[in-house]
Amino acid sequence: MKSGVLRDLAVGAVLVALLLVLPILFPKPALRDFLIYVMAYGLLAMSLNLLVGLTGLVSFGHAAFFASGAYMFGLLMQSGTVGIPVAMLATVGGTAVLALVIGAICVRLKEIYFSFITLAFQMFIHSIILTWVSLTGGDQGLRGGIPRPPFLGIDLNDAMTLYVFCVVVFILCIAIMRQVWRSPFGFTLRMIRDNPTRANFLGADVVRVKLGIFVLAGSMASVGGVLLALFVSGAYPEFGFWTTSGEAIFMIMLGGSQLFIGPVIGAVLLRLLDHFVTIYTDHHGLVLGAVILVIVLGLRQGVADYIVDWLERRRETRAAAASVASEKGAA
Amino acid sequence: MLSVQNLSKSFGGVQATRDVSIDFPDGSLTAIIGPNGAGKTTFFNLISGAIRPDAGKVVFAGQDIVGRSSLEVVRLGMARAFQVAALFPSLTVKDAVTAAVTSHQRKSWTLLQRFPLEGTQHRTDEILELLGLSSKANTLSRNLSHGDQKLLDIGLALAMDPKVLLLDEPTAGMGPDERWRMIGKVQHLWEVKKMTVLFIEHDMDIVFKIAQAIHVLKYGAVLAQGTADEIRRNQDVIDAYLGTDHHLAHAAGQE
Amino acid sequence: MNLEALASCLSTSACAVTQVSTALIIGMLLFMVASGLSLIFGVLGVINFAHGAFYMVGAYFAYAAYQATESFAVAFLAGALGVGLIGILFERFIMSRVYGKDVLMQLLVCYAAILIFDDLVKIIAGPEYKMMGMPEAFALPPLEFGGGFVPAYYVFMILASLAIGIGLWLAIEKTRLGKIVRALAINPPMVSALGINTTMLYAGVFGVGSLLAGIAGALAAPTRTLTPGMGLSILIESFIVTVIGGMGSIVGALIAALLIGFTRAFGAIGFPLFVDGLMFAMMALVLILKPSGLLGREPAR
Repeated sequence: MKSGVLRDLAVGAVLVALLLVLPILFPKPALRDFLIYVMAYGLLAMSLNLLVGLTGLVSFGHAAFFASGAYMFGLLMQSGTVGIPVAMLATVGGTAVLALVIGAICVRLKEIYFSFITLAFQMFIHSIILTWVSLTGGDQGLRGGIPRPPFLGIDLNDAMTLYVFCVVVFILCIAIMRQVWRSPFGFTLRMIRDNPTRANFLGADVVRVKLGIFVLAGSMASVGGVLLALFVSGAYPEFGFWTTSGEAIFMIMLGGSQLFIGPVIGAVLLRLLDHFVTIYTDHHGLVLGAVILVIVLGLRQGVADYIVDWLERRRETRAAAASVASEKGAA
Repeated sequence: MLSVQNLSKSFGGVQATRDVSIDFPDGSLTAIIGPNGAGKTTFFNLISGAIRPDAGKVVFAGQDIVGRSSLEVVRLGMARAFQVAALFPSLTVKDAVTAAVTSHQRKSWTLLQRFPLEGTQHRTDEILELLGLSSKANTLSRNLSHGDQKLLDIGLALAMDPKVLLLDEPTAGMGPDERWRMIGKVQHLWEVKKMTVLFIEHDMDIVFKIAQAIHVLKYGAVLAQGTADEIRRNQDVIDAYLGTDHHLAHAAGQE
Repeated sequence: MNLEALASCLSTSACAVTQVSTALIIGMLLFMVASGLSLIFGVLGVINFAHGAFYMVGAYFAYAAYQATESFAVAFLAGALGVGLIGILFERFIMSRVYGKDVLMQLLVCYAAILIFDDLVKIIAGPEYKMMGMPEAFALPPLEFGGGFVPAYYVFMILASLAIGIGLWLAIEKTRLGKIVRALAINPPMVSALGINTTMLYAGVFGVGSLLAGIAGALAAPTRTLTPGMGLSILIESFIVTVIGGMGSIVGALIAALLIGFTRAFGAIGFPLFVDGLMFAMMALVLILKPSGLLGREPAR
C-alpha cells in the first residue's frame, strides 16, 4: 500500500522533471505551447476518463465544464477584483456547483440516455455563451485579453513562468485524480461500472456516488479550461462545443481508458495528429473522422487498450506454453 | 426476526405472490421450493426491497421494511446472492470482496487513503478462507469457473455481515458432485456464522437433507410448509410435483 | 423578456396565425427527425448521434437535385431516398459492427460520421450558406386563415409531414411487418427463430429512420438556409422531443414536437433569450417527474 504511493510519487517526480527539462533542452516556444495545449486538453480527457473508464458513464458533454472553467476564470480576472489563485478556486467551486445541478438530472439515467442528455446540456451551455453577448462576447469569445496580475511574486506574463505554473497545476490535478483512481472511492466506482445493481445490493449508494464523481470530474475539467484561458488569454465558445467533447472521447480511445495516464497520451497523439493534418490539408474533419472509423472498426476498442490486451494475451499464451512444457518435463 | 405477513404482488394480471405469510426464526436454515414459475425469485425480490409489494408486511429487525429501498434493507443486515452470479467482472476476487467489505464499513466514499484500507484485509481474508477462494484471490472475477463465481457471489453478500442471507439457487447450473460440495459450504457457513439463511433450491435431495424448515410455493401462494418429513408426506406437494418432478414422488415413496 | 409583444401578437389574429404556422412547421420537422431517431432507438437500442447529419445531407441532396432539375418532386425524392440509402449503408458497414460494444464505440463512430459528413458537404457544396428558394410549384398566393396569411408551401409541409406521420403509425401499429418490427424491439431471437432475416430488418428499420431525417431535410430545404453543421441543433431538439414524448412512441413524439414548436415560435416574440432554457427546463421536469416520457413505454432510468 505504501509502496503504491511511493511509486506514484516517483513517477510524478519523473514527469515533472521531464516537463521542466524538455523546454530547456529544446528552447522553442512552439514546444512549450504544444505542451501547454496537451496539459489543458489532457486534464479535460483525464477528468472525463474518471467518468468513462472508471465509472462507466460515457459523458458526451464534458467540455461544458472545460468552457465553464475558461469563462468563469476569464470573467473573474477581467472584473479585476480578485487575484489568480482566488479566481481559480472560485472557478473550480463555481463549476462544481454547475456540475452538481446538471449531474443531479443526468446521473439517474441509463447509459445511452446519459450520453445524450449530457450532450444536450453542453449545447445548452454553449447556446448561453453564444446568446449572452454582453457578458461573454458571443461568438467572438471573451475579448480584451485576460489580465495576469502577479501574485506571491509570480508573474505569469513571463512565458516560461506561465509554463512552469501550468506544469505545477497540471501535476497537482493529476495527483488528485491518481488518488481518486487508487482510493476506496475509486473501487466503489469500479463496482458501479461493472455492475451497478450488484453495487447497490452491497450497500453502495449508486446515484450519489455517480453524482459525486460527476462533480469531481467537472471540477477537474474546469482547471483544464483555466489553463487554456490563461494561455490563450481569452475564452471561446468552441471550448464548450460538442466537437471538443468528441475530441476528449477520442483522446481516451487513443490513449486507453483503463490506463490511468492513457488519456494524456491520447491528448499528445491527437494534438500531433491535428498538427500534421492541418499542415497537409484543410479537411481536418474528414481525415480525423476516417482515422476514428478505421481504428474503431479495425480494433473495435481503444488503441492503447488493444495493445494492453494484446500484451496480456501474449503473456497468457506464453505462461500456458511454459506450464505445458514444465508438465512435460515433470512427466 | 424475519417474518412476512400477507405479502401479495401482481404484475399486470399475473399474481406472482398471493397472501404469503411465513416466519423465519433467528438462526434457521430454510428452503423455499416450488415448481418453475412458482414466484420464488419474486418472493426474494419482495423481501429484499428490489420490488415493492402491493400488500402485506415484511418485518425485519423489529420494523416493517416495505417501501424501504434495497440499499436500506442491505444496511439493516439482509444480503443476497443471485441466481446468475452477480459479480464485478474486471475486479480480482480479492479486490471485489475488499470493495464490498469497504462498502459495508461505510467507507465507500473514502478519498484520502489508498485501497485496500487496513481495516478491511482481515475480514476479506476471513471470507475468502471460509469459502475456499483464498488460492484464487488474484484471479479476475470473469475468469473464475462457474462454481467459484457462485461462491464469490455469496462471498460478496457475506461481506455485508448479514443477519439474514438470501441465496437464490446456490447450486444452479452445477453438476451433481459440485452441488453437494456447494451446499456443504452453505451449511458450514450457516453453522459458523449463525445467520438466518433462506435458500431457493430445485434439488429435493439437498433440500430434504439440510433444510430445517421447507416452504413450498405454487402459483405464488404457500402450498405447504414444515419439516422435511412433513413435506415428503404432504399429498398436495406430491400432487403438485407429480408430472413436473417425479423425483420428489420417488423420494417420498422411499420413506 | 417582452411579454407585451407576445400578448399583442396573440390579440391580433394575423400575427397569431403566422406564429401558429411557424410553430407547426418547426414542430412537424422536429417530429420527422425525432420519430426516426426514436424508431431506430426503439428497435435497435442505439442512439444515432449522426441523425442530425442525415437531416443536413437530406437538405443538401434536395438542394442539389433542385438545382439540376428545377423539380421539387425530384428534389424531395432525392433527399428522402438518398438519405434512406445512406442510412442502410451506414447501418450495414459501420453501425452494425459496434452493436453490443460499449456505448463509447457507438458514440465514436457517430462522431466520426458527423465529422466526415460535415466536411464532405463543405468540400462538395462549399462552406458558405446556400438558399434553395421556393420551388416554382409553390409560387402561389398565400392562403388566408382567419385574417392571417400562410404561404402555400407551409401548408403543404404541414400536411405532408402529418400524412407521413400517420402512415408511419399505421405501418407500425396495423401491419404485419409493423408487428414483426415491434417484436424485434422486444425479442430479437424470437423473431429470428420465426425464420425472419433480422439483419435485413435492422438495416431496413435504420433505413426508414434515416429516410425520415432525409424527408425532414428535403422539406426544410426551401425554407431554411443550408450550412454544414446545420444538423446539430435539430439533433439536440429532437432528442429533447424524444425525452419529453417518450422513446419509441410516435404519438408522444408528435405531441412533444408540437410543444417545442410552439415554445420556439411564440418564445421568439415573448422571451427570445429564454427559449432554449425553457426547452431544457421542460425536459428536466419530464425527466424528474416521469422518466419514461409522456407516452413512453420504457423508463430512461
